[in-house]
Amino acid sequence: MATAVLQVENVSKAFRIPSVKRDTVREHVLGLFEPRHYEKLQVLEDVSFSVQPGEALGIMGRNGGGKSTLLKIICDVYQPDRGRVIRRAAITPILELGVGWHPELDAIDNVCLIGSVMGLSLPEIRRSMDRILAFAELERFANLKLKHYSSGMSARLGYAVAFEAVREVLVLDEIFAVGDAGFKAKCEERYRELHAAGHAIVLVSHAPPIVSAFCDRALLIDGGVVAAEGPAADIVDAYLTTMTHGALPISDSSAQSA
Amino acid sequence: MSASVETKPALPAARPAAADRLTDAASPGARAGLIWTLVRTDFKVRYHGTIGGFVWALLKPLTMFVMLMAVFSFLFAQDPNYKLNLIIGLFLWDFFAEGTKAGLMSLHARGFLLTKARCPAWILVVTAISNAVITLIVFSGIILAFLTLVGQPPSVAGMLLFLAYCLALVLIVVGFSLAASVLFLRYRDLNQVWDMVVQAGFFLAPIIYPLAILPERFHIYLYVWLPTPIIEFARAALVSHQPATMTGHLYLAAAVALCLGIGVMTYRRFSGRAVEYL
Repeated sequence: MATAVLQVENVSKAFRIPSVKRDTVREHVLGLFEPRHYEKLQVLEDVSFSVQPGEALGIMGRNGGGKSTLLKIICDVYQPDRGRVIRRAAITPILELGVGWHPELDAIDNVCLIGSVMGLSLPEIRRSMDRILAFAELERFANLKLKHYSSGMSARLGYAVAFEAVREVLVLDEIFAVGDAGFKAKCEERYRELHAAGHAIVLVSHAPPIVSAFCDRALLIDGGVVAAEGPAADIVDAYLTTMTHGALPISDSSAQSA
Repeated sequence: MSASVETKPALPAARPAAADRLTDAASPGARAGLIWTLVRTDFKVRYHGTIGGFVWALLKPLTMFVMLMAVFSFLFAQDPNYKLNLIIGLFLWDFFAEGTKAGLMSLHARGFLLTKARCPAWILVVTAISNAVITLIVFSGIILAFLTLVGQPPSVAGMLLFLAYCLALVLIVVGFSLAASVLFLRYRDLNQVWDMVVQAGFFLAPIIYPLAILPERFHIYLYVWLPTPIIEFARAALVSHQPATMTGHLYLAAAVALCLGIGVMTYRRFSGRAVEYL
């Protein structure tokens, strides 16, 4: 077996939720003699898996189950409390339905900014600008500030930049959730091209047809742990079972050893 | 709706991983491009991308200079170098005030680059003060032109010393910004606290008054406020042509190193989880 491009080893992550929120110096000074209590929200517990070169791995689970936190840890946006992520290839993320934009800059400047963050050099960005705008179907609005864009327009632009900047591993959170049917078709086509070209892909989705159609293998995250792991079709079934019955039947966990 | 794609964009080839960091702006070319883009877009947002907008940034301290000179030159009429000292003090202070404010807010203002991709946060902090640095460079030119116009052109050694003091001030602002930017995400009124400190600090530093009017025993306390030695040393190098002592320079070097060291340590301590506070 080839060396994994991405290896997640025993990753745990918790957030501390204070009983009283204190965000300012004033609140901290005034509350100096009123100790706070913290509730620990364990989002991920001992999560381990790996992604092989060229593999498309789907991640499914309930809302609030820790999928997005896991993606942010994979992309080095969040730090894990325990465990580690070994990255043997460069990652291009599209998290939370897109990328961040500066509302006061137009599309061209934002593409330069986000493209640079995603690892493109300026000559590469200039060379691919027309292609990015064409993919996002936003040529006419290239000089419009992003604050005037609809959420769908900015999401389309985000996908267009990320698909241009894509490196060895593509991490996608809820792909195909934006745009009209035409844009979704383009995203699907580009996704298949990237997969066929050998890019590894980590894809989070709530949509069973997407995971079945676009992933080779999948994980089911439930309660912050890997509840099941195996072929995408099996995990989609397990996901539907947890959504229907509230928990994964014991027999279904056999997929974990797959 | 155009469901069919007329021209299919070419698929970019898989890009090689950089050795230092395997996510995002990792290669030197991409990092240089990111720095340039951040500086350029910051200028564009702040000044609407025009030189005319940038002129406003220059007019603020210039107006202050004219007003203060009009009033205080009568009070300090016995000091022939008062207006020269005032312009040096005001311009250096303006950089300090603007740079620290921009640095303090830098991670919060550019948080959108941190939450959805791994961006080297220190680059966001350092480039946030770029506009203040550009203004400082223009101000330095104005100061040197002003000195020449009034018949007191600075010596080469004086200009080199002034350059060193400007660099020291930039390092102080960078050190402060590194620490304050991560702390601001946890303490959201830190900008108001700093506004208060800057307001008091303007009068604490000898900008509109000569340091000599205060009893000498207080001078050491004023030198703890780091803009004071910078302003005083710059005036000594450019106006009075009596450079500061070796002890003074050693003190300044140590203070800059301390400020930068504390800034870097604080940044390293808190930056790992900074995104969680955005």
